Amino acid sequence: MIEMPLSRRALLASLGQGFGSLALASLLGNDARADEQSNSKTSPTPPLSVSPSPTRVLHHPAKAKRVVQLFMSGAASHVDLWDYKPMLERKHGQASDFGEKVEVFQNGLGPWLKSPWKWQQYGKCGKNLSEITAPLGPCVDEMAFVHNMVGKTGVHSQATLLQATGFQTPGFPGMGAWISYGLGSLNDNLPTFVVLPDHRGFGPSGPKNWGSAFLPAQHQGTVIRPGTANPIADLFPTGGKFITKDSEAAASSLMKKLNKQHEATRPGDDRLEARIKSYELAAQMQLSAPEALDLSGEPAHILKLYGLDHGKTQFDKEINEVEETDYFGRKCLVARRLLERGVRFVQIWSGCDNGFPRRNWDSHEELHRDHGPLALGMSRGAAALIADLRQRGLLDDTLVLWTTEFGRMPCSQGPNGRDHNPFVFTNWLCGGGIRGGISHGPSDEWGYRPLDRENPTQVYDIHATILHLLGIDHTRLTFRTSGIDRRLTDVHGHVIKDLLA
Amino acid sequence: MLNLRFNFVLLVMAVSAVEVRAADADFRRDIAPIFERRCLSCHNGAEKKGKLSLQTEKEVLDGGENGAAIEPGKPAGSLLLDYISGDKPEMPKKGPPLKKEEVALIRDWIAAGAKWPADLALLDRAIADTNWWSLQTLVRPPLPKLAAEDEKRVRNPIDAFILAKVREKQLAPSAEADKLTLLRRLYFDVIGLPPSPEETSAFLKDQDSRAYEKLVDRLLESPRYGERWARHWLDVVHYADTHGYDKDKLRPNAWPYRDYVIRSLNQDKSYGQFVREQLAGDVLYPGSADGITALGFIAAGPWDFVGHAEVPETKIDGMAARNLDRDDMVTATMNAFCSTTVQCARCHNHKFDPVTMEDYYSLQAVFAAVDRADKAYDADPAVADRRRKLTSGLKDLKQDQEEQDVKIREAGGEELASVEKRLAELSKAGPVGEKPEFGYHSNIEPRQDAVKWVQVDLGKSTPIERLIYVGCHDDFNKIGAGFGFPVRFKIEASEHETFAANVVTLVDQTQADFLNPGVVPQEVVAPKGTAARYVRITATKLAPRQNDFIFAIAEFMVLTPGGENMAAGKPVTSLDSIEAPVRWSRKNLVDGYYYGIKSAAIGETAKLTEKRKEILERFLNKELKLEIRKLAEAMKELEDALAALPPQQQVYAGTIHTGSGTFVGTGASGGKPREIHILLRGDIKRPDKLVGPGTIPIIPNLPPRFDLPPDHKEGDRRAALAQWISHDKNPLTWRSIVNRVWQYHFGRGLVDSAGDFGRMGQLPTHPELLDWLAVEFRDDGQSLRKLHRLILLSSTYRQSSAHNEAFAKIDAGNQFLWRANRRRLDAESLRDATLAVAGKLDVTMGGPGYWDFVLEKPEHSPHYEYDKMDPDDPKTHRRSIYRFIVRSAPDPFMECLDCADPSQLVDKRNETQNALSALALLNNKFMLRMSEHFAARATAAGKTPADQITAAFRLAITRDPTAEELRELTAYAEQHGMANACRVILNLNEFLFVD
Repeated sequence: MIEMPLSRRALLASLGQGFGSLALASLLGNDARADEQSNSKTSPTPPLSVSPSPTRVLHHPAKAKRVVQLFMSGAASHVDLWDYKPMLERKHGQASDFGEKVEVFQNGLGPWLKSPWKWQQYGKCGKNLSEITAPLGPCVDEMAFVHNMVGKTGVHSQATLLQATGFQTPGFPGMGAWISYGLGSLNDNLPTFVVLPDHRGFGPSGPKNWGSAFLPAQHQGTVIRPGTANPIADLFPTGGKFITKDSEAAASSLMKKLNKQHEATRPGDDRLEARIKSYELAAQMQLSAPEALDLSGEPAHILKLYGLDHGKTQFDKEINEVEETDYFGRKCLVARRLLERGVRFVQIWSGCDNGFPRRNWDSHEELHRDHGPLALGMSRGAAALIADLRQRGLLDDTLVLWTTEFGRMPCSQGPNGRDHNPFVFTNWLCGGGIRGGISHGPSDEWGYRPLDRENPTQVYDIHATILHLLGIDHTRLTFRTSGIDRRLTDVHGHVIKDLLA
Repeated sequence: MLNLRFNFVLLVMAVSAVEVRAADADFRRDIAPIFERRCLSCHNGAEKKGKLSLQTEKEVLDGGENGAAIEPGKPAGSLLLDYISGDKPEMPKKGPPLKKEEVALIRDWIAAGAKWPADLALLDRAIADTNWWSLQTLVRPPLPKLAAEDEKRVRNPIDAFILAKVREKQLAPSAEADKLTLLRRLYFDVIGLPPSPEETSAFLKDQDSRAYEKLVDRLLESPRYGERWARHWLDVVHYADTHGYDKDKLRPNAWPYRDYVIRSLNQDKSYGQFVREQLAGDVLYPGSADGITALGFIAAGPWDFVGHAEVPETKIDGMAARNLDRDDMVTATMNAFCSTTVQCARCHNHKFDPVTMEDYYSLQAVFAAVDRADKAYDADPAVADRRRKLTSGLKDLKQDQEEQDVKIREAGGEELASVEKRLAELSKAGPVGEKPEFGYHSNIEPRQDAVKWVQVDLGKSTPIERLIYVGCHDDFNKIGAGFGFPVRFKIEASEHETFAANVVTLVDQTQADFLNPGVVPQEVVAPKGTAARYVRITATKLAPRQNDFIFAIAEFMVLTPGGENMAAGKPVTSLDSIEAPVRWSRKNLVDGYYYGIKSAAIGETAKLTEKRKEILERFLNKELKLEIRKLAEAMKELEDALAALPPQQQVYAGTIHTGSGTFVGTGASGGKPREIHILLRGDIKRPDKLVGPGTIPIIPNLPPRFDLPPDHKEGDRRAALAQWISHDKNPLTWRSIVNRVWQYHFGRGLVDSAGDFGRMGQLPTHPELLDWLAVEFRDDGQSLRKLHRLILLSSTYRQSSAHNEAFAKIDAGNQFLWRANRRRLDAESLRDATLAVAGKLDVTMGGPGYWDFVLEKPEHSPHYEYDKMDPDDPKTHRRSIYRFIVRSAPDPFMECLDCADPSQLVDKRNETQNALSALALLNNKFMLRMSEHFAARATAAGKTPADQITAAFRLAITRDPTAEELRELTAYAEQHGMANACRVILNLNEFLFVD
């Protein structure tokens, strides 16, 4: 058998999980450039069969290398978590009056409703947090809040897609997919973009929020379910009792041998080599993924930091903070381990679909029941993640983004709930290149709309800012599909200079 | 001197007049186009981004939020120049910066005084230029001249065009591939399955010079052909079996459209008809099942359940959802059939192609009456015909009956009139249909003995004669009727809101469990003389659900001795309430609606009907009675015949929807199209000009707005669009389809952007060939089968895929087809081939799709659990075209093999080889189980391990293994078992790639 040396291009091309497209572009020089000119989709035997080269990437020096996005499904209430409104305390119980006609999802326009939680100032910046976000108190001087986020719709599915992909309709790549496409991976044995869904179910539109859509499939988010037999789909054989350790090793070398022979008689087709290589990468992933997800080696003080020291093996039936802390904290700890091992983008979801009993942030009925435990769990996990990244020196180049679908109304729905508020809500960012201790773009005194309605912040601005910190000009990261050069930020977006360190 | 002076004045005047005209001309020629093309889409009078409009002189001088845009004569002081010049100019926001020459022109214009022709208002310029290859009239091009040696290779005109280009590029054609390669190529290309070993040896033995041709014909006539090629079309139209978006609910009646596509391909229906049926089959092919099922095209894409079913059309979010829904219909139609990206004009005139916003919204107007919903049809045309005749006969009889009624009323007089009036009222009261306002629902409790109450405030002390209370209906956890009805409860009346004193107990069911009455209204007579202001229902033992307890009640009526319901619309309070409108709300307790309300009127209706009969008996003469009986008998006969017809099937289609609750559709208004306005910036809150149905202006001498009479029906709009698309002179339709077919055969289209023939798309590599094929196809029966045959029989198609280093340097991507392209199996072919070689493929055609998941929690947001699928479930062994396709939660196995994403219009699939797809093919339980079945089949096919391996190799790879392959695989099989060896074979590149 002739051992064919793996050509440099095939090697690089095969590393869909390996070197990024930047590396490809720079190493391949003109070849890759030529590819840009043609349709970005893969032709039958394209020069690069795995990673079509994106147009110009890394436009300026990056402040951040990695991103972790915390996504609250169901719409978390800004006026109960981050955006303190003394006015609501003063006017609590009085008929709400917005001074204009307001249309909300379920017509929940009851009296003004103060937050059921107490607020307190934290840090040098004196940021007000409520009781249920208090665990983040020690982090506020590193966090930048954006209180004038506006959405486009109060419909969960569209709003979730908008925050996750920049478009209201399905069929567009998630932010992590764009970043994978633009920057490639930092490792060669784990996916570039990892999604840790709420284990109780997907949020609205589920995988459409992290799909690669028209981008090549290797950029899609890979769902990882830590603690299960197959944390990545088909990582190990399920069923197949005929497979043994020995049969597996022998199969691997036999396949390689036969595939190499096949390839030797068919020169000029990089895909054949890429596919051979993909089996080697798969084998590496089988080794590295379980190690990355194994929390058993984490010392006690780290488990305590993430709130995983509760000693419980079973949780109460009712939604409760110990359980929520465990779930969210565990995902945050896994995220840290993945980021450390070179995963570029981790997306953590809190809250699943609309079912009964409610396990998401969509508190139309009982704010206290849902938001209390969810927020405490989220805050403990997020605070631990920030602290842990900081102590490992990773916070400097890791961006943390907290986001949700939209906010909730400052008035009541029923006695204890809040309806959707797409007119204003809060995001916050922390870490890699972010100026901490600031609150950008206030909302009005009620938390109903931005104080300056003419100049709100939109998801495009958040996305543009994140890309900017990653060294990408958001107007230049494009992919042509159906006759349009698509961008994460569509035709919008401004980098929010105020947020930059 | 005077004369001289006069002359001088004249001269000055003449010069300045010339100057003015020149400046005018300069502005119109040089400046206006720049503003119109690059600035006005944002800076127009309506939009005024940054409060600036560049439409008129006044607006320019008034300036925007930062002041005047220009200072005439002073370029340095003109803000406009600051914005558009420099290294990174701030404007225009979209597209590249203005060219240096353009900036210089504007600078000069400002320096020269910024003269603006009087009263000239600029317009956001639309592209009117149809000077683009794909918009040219189709003309059959002459065949190219070839050298004599090349002429010998020409089997049909395709080869002539391809060879001419190959030679022009200094390339040479490749030799014909060997028979075995051609066989495997043809099978996968035409029917998406591998040849069986028997078919392989039969073909290899066939020495007939027409052996290849015969094979092509046989495959094209196989029903497997329609199954394979339907998948291509379903990619383009983004077909799926669920709605997508967040609920991602099931669409159980989507499949008849999928079957329609398969059937149409297998019948080789003319393409024009295929187009027309999918847009307006109900209008243009009435009475045919295809005419209805084809309309699944319009509804194939995603549907936002919440945006339609939970938000009414009167709300902004509801309007936006419907606007986006129509956008999907328009986009899919124009992309699939015309390869045009009209959707770019939703927010602004198309930047590159001749599509204005008005054109775009006129296309929305075509679909303005339809929604995505189930539509009934008869699969059997004979039944459809009979149903139509019976329905029409019944209609005639009803007319007779109306005439008869006049006579009866004359005879029946006052007494009859009063009974009929009441009957009419009752029939108006119902049927109500199901509405989403279920009732009142308490908070959820972990304990059954928690006490809950809900009460009505009648406003003042009121005499009470009777109470009626009704249970709820909710399909949650399949509970249905009586949902939340308390096991024990009491009803009390009091003058005090708190029920602290003077409490009268009207019902006491607290001592023993009460049998759940479902939704049957419960009526109780109050003790004589009862009067109170407040009436309260208290649950003392809650209704159980899965793991918790609740109290829910649909309706509560408090009747006075006069029979008036005093509770209707009165304030309701309660200990607690989940308040999840519209379904659950306190006010629903007294809203007069409860599940099955229509049946309440039945009692009275029956009584009155009886009375009516009695009146007629008294008043009518014998003749009239006979006439009435005859007519009634005739009607009954037809009605019975109708009822005896096989039940109609449903297809999820673009149709007039008649709904209740929030998703009402246009059915109630007789399918009247919604008004469609141009939306400024695509914003639903900014409607502008009203537009009628139409399309884009690309067929010469055909106006882009449809000329329909004022009383036209909505279907006429769709029919007009269907006729326009399938018009002989449409320059896009015929090019689009032949290019798609070419792409599926060769892996790359003659135009590599199959969905975009506009200026942002690719140019054709062989424009003459494309036009030749388009004309040939259009004028010769519009037969896809003929087109396939032409392509498959060409020398071009039969070339070897062997590499040539020198040619690869000239044309690495093989766009000029100097060789064949090696193809990787798509997800469906790979799965089908695996089933086929494992001997498990079930070729049953049509019907509902198989589920390769387990469905959980279907009542709210369904969970599709793929990893719980049983790979040995024989239902899942059908061809992949019959897979039930979930939109938001795709099957991860198929997805990592690059199956189409039904949230997008997929013109061409991506192709990736990465670790996740390697893991899937190695470890997915479907692959593992099929390896075992494959092994059992191979084992049965040979005595020795070597024979068995040979059999397995022939099944999967089509050829015999080489001596070395045989030795290696046999050794492996002997050591680790046949299942492992078969698993290796299914993971070989040669199984996945077709030369």
